[in-house]
Amino acid sequence: MTLPTMLDHRLLVVTGKGGVGKSTTAAALALAGARTGRRTALVEVEGRQTFPSLFDTPAWDFEEREVRPGLFGVSIDAEDSLQEYLELFYGAKRLSRFVVGSTAVEFATTAAPGIKDVLLIGKVKEMERRRDADGRFTYDLIVLDAPPTGRIVGFLSAPEATVELVNMGPIRQQARSVVDMITDQARTLAVPVTVLEDLPVTETLEGAAALRELGVALGPVVVNRVLPTRLDAAAQARLQDGLTPQAIARRATDAGAPLEAQGAEALLAQAEAEAARVALQVELRERLRADLDAPLLELPEHYAESFGPAEISALAGTIEELVR
Amino acid sequence: MSAIGGDPLARWRDGDLSEVVAQASIIVCTGAGGVGKTTLAATLALGAAARGRKTVVLTIDPARRLAQSLGLTAMTEEASPVPGVEGLDAMMLDMKRTFDALVDRHAPEPERAERIKSNRFYQQLTSSLAGTQEYMAMEKLYELHERGDYDCIVIDTPPTRSALDFLDAPKRLTDFLEGRFLRLFLGTGMRASKQVGRAVGWGSGIFMRAASRITGAGVLEDLGEFFQSFEGMYEGFKARASEVYRLLASPGSAFVVVASPEPPALREARYFLHRLEQDGMPTAGLVVNRLTPPPPPSLAALTTQQAREAAASLADGDDDDRAVAALLRLHADRAELTVRERRAVAAALQGTTPRRVVEVPRLRPEVHDVEALREVGTHVHGTADADAAAEV
Ligand SMILES: Nc1ncnc2c1ncn2[C@@H]1O[C@H](COP(=O)(O)OP(=O)(O)O)[C@@H](O)[C@H]1O
Ligand SMILES: Nc1ncnc2c1ncn2[C@@H]1O[C@H](COP(=O)(O)OP(=O)(O)O)[C@@H](O)[C@H]1O
Ligand SMILES: [Mg+2]
Ligand SMILES: [Mg+2]
Repeated sequence: MTLPTMLDHRLLVVTGKGGVGKSTTAAALALAGARTGRRTALVEVEGRQTFPSLFDTPAWDFEEREVRPGLFGVSIDAEDSLQEYLELFYGAKRLSRFVVGSTAVEFATTAAPGIKDVLLIGKVKEMERRRDADGRFTYDLIVLDAPPTGRIVGFLSAPEATVELVNMGPIRQQARSVVDMITDQARTLAVPVTVLEDLPVTETLEGAAALRELGVALGPVVVNRVLPTRLDAAAQARLQDGLTPQAIARRATDAGAPLEAQGAEALLAQAEAEAARVALQVELRERLRADLDAPLLELPEHYAESFGPAEISALAGTIEELVR
Repeated sequence: MSAIGGDPLARWRDGDLSEVVAQASIIVCTGAGGVGKTTLAATLALGAAARGRKTVVLTIDPARRLAQSLGLTAMTEEASPVPGVEGLDAMMLDMKRTFDALVDRHAPEPERAERIKSNRFYQQLTSSLAGTQEYMAMEKLYELHERGDYDCIVIDTPPTRSALDFLDAPKRLTDFLEGRFLRLFLGTGMRASKQVGRAVGWGSGIFMRAASRITGAGVLEDLGEFFQSFEGMYEGFKARASEVYRLLASPGSAFVVVASPEPPALREARYFLHRLEQDGMPTAGLVVNRLTPPPPPSLAALTTQQAREAAASLADGDDDDRAVAALLRLHADRAELTVRERRAVAAALQGTTPRRVVEVPRLRPEVHDVEALREVGTHVHGTADADAAAEV
């Protein structure tokens, strides 16, 4: 698995500890896919409605809608998937309407929590296999904003569990073909997202091992919110030894930024604090590299008061550069 | 920084949480995942203990190193003293054990309790039903409160998917256990779970066939048995849930909402503040954690624009020039960030009543020992050792 080939897979399962930027990354990957000429679907499964604000669109639902040229957004839930599935296999509108009352699904999903997951992945598989009238796949690339690391293994192993549970019939077949998709290393990649902090990195390493165990191919690990390095090596060396607060104050003042030695000391202290943050990132990046057999895809920190289309577009640009 | 918009948070600054740690008998820290709830819970507990109050902090998923500092090396249900801190105990929530204890308490006889606990469905329920973790946290809280060993109980909350889950947890769980729908298909008074499929009317018959095709038959039998063994226990659960609710709403409790200065965390905080108000819960304040520290007074005269322009003109110079340029750029970025973060917080607070906003700067580089918690404490409850300074 190398960075440049990642978008050539058919399904990217994006996961990560809550809050690290899983949805952001999924959106940026999908946009990068569409902008590099792939017909792409971005799929949300937990009904959080994160994407409308990232693409500046009305709420997403079960209908696939083009939100950018070549990029289709859809929000799927277990109920709609079940209804579609029952109609498909039992051909019975009446039955499916009866079954798909909210309590019925509540029942099915609490009775066997895996059921909901099978329905959701089943729907993704339907999209992945779908072909247009001309025989071509409808989508070249599907990006799934999957459940967080804590649930991803249960989510992806639900179909396998179903295969074990149900010994015949269309459901078994359905589950079987979903398992095939998930474990087909050429079709599906799991893409964990993390930030360079202790807890998320630990969770990512554990999650990556568990995904491998499941037989799911591990894609690049996305390292989100990487802080920029602001100093080249030579300038860094000057800061570490030699450059006095007085000298800094003089140069700054001469350049039009009025500064006293005390202010220069404050600047140095800020730089030191920043260096400590960067050092922690370096340490954690090393931990990822050492314990993980997958390339890292780094996305920079983009501070914005409201994180939206402009930021997603910029991050997609970074991804396009990296996969080129 | 007034050039870029003044101090939008000024109107919300109204002291810190000293009063809360001195008086509240229950403190609940809540907010989005990863914002610092566990850190704040531990900090507030230290503050209460420092005031001579016998305190316990109930944490959920502390970062490994913080757990070690709190003396939480093994997952135990027992409170254990925090090393080096007088009067402070810490404990970690063990969901399964708390749920087991709950079943033991409400079951009419021990055999019933055993039957429930060995049921496959029960085992799934304890980990998968939304809201269970929240409910167990509240259950544990109530138990600690009833025992009366502590002057102050500080509780951390799970990284909930949405703020709603937390206040709704007791109701959600009892609704689920009462299972209108499940009763419908189990039928009242029906005993043998094997008859489940047969004993119901035509409509549910079809449904049951479809359902068992999807779930597999064994699952349904387990489920039937599970609900039967719970019969008669719902009332106990329900009564308990409303006691917890009343306890939380009482004036001795204090909710502290924690957020980071980022839009999703702030949205969650805003929603929570609304919800607490609606439910008449006692809100103590909003803690905005991990703010970019504002520039020190010695840099107050330097405007961001001056810093940027000077940096641009030094960018192509010698090593020293470039080093100074980088310092100036870093300063400008941080100064702008400070303003933008506070503006984002102010925007999120529009139309809410957080009572007060307490700001905690980002400390370097992480917070995982008691010393660092005390440092956070200087911002939250003004405890003495102010010589420990924030990241500059
Ligand atoms: N590269 C980034 N730079 C700056 N902020 C980011 C970045 N990625 C994510 N964020 C911030 O983190 C927030 C949460 O991201 P999101 O993708 O919704 O997280 P998740 O789906 O993992 O819960 C975003 O709204 C944004 O404020
Ligand atoms: N003020 C702070 N400055 C720097 N790091 C912090 C601060 N508060 C919390 N952290 C760090 O942030 C991470 C998440 O904090 P935690 O309290 O575990 O969050 P939560 O319980 O809300 O998930 C931890 O690694 C912690 O050390
Ligand atoms: Mg998300
Ligand atoms: Mg926590």
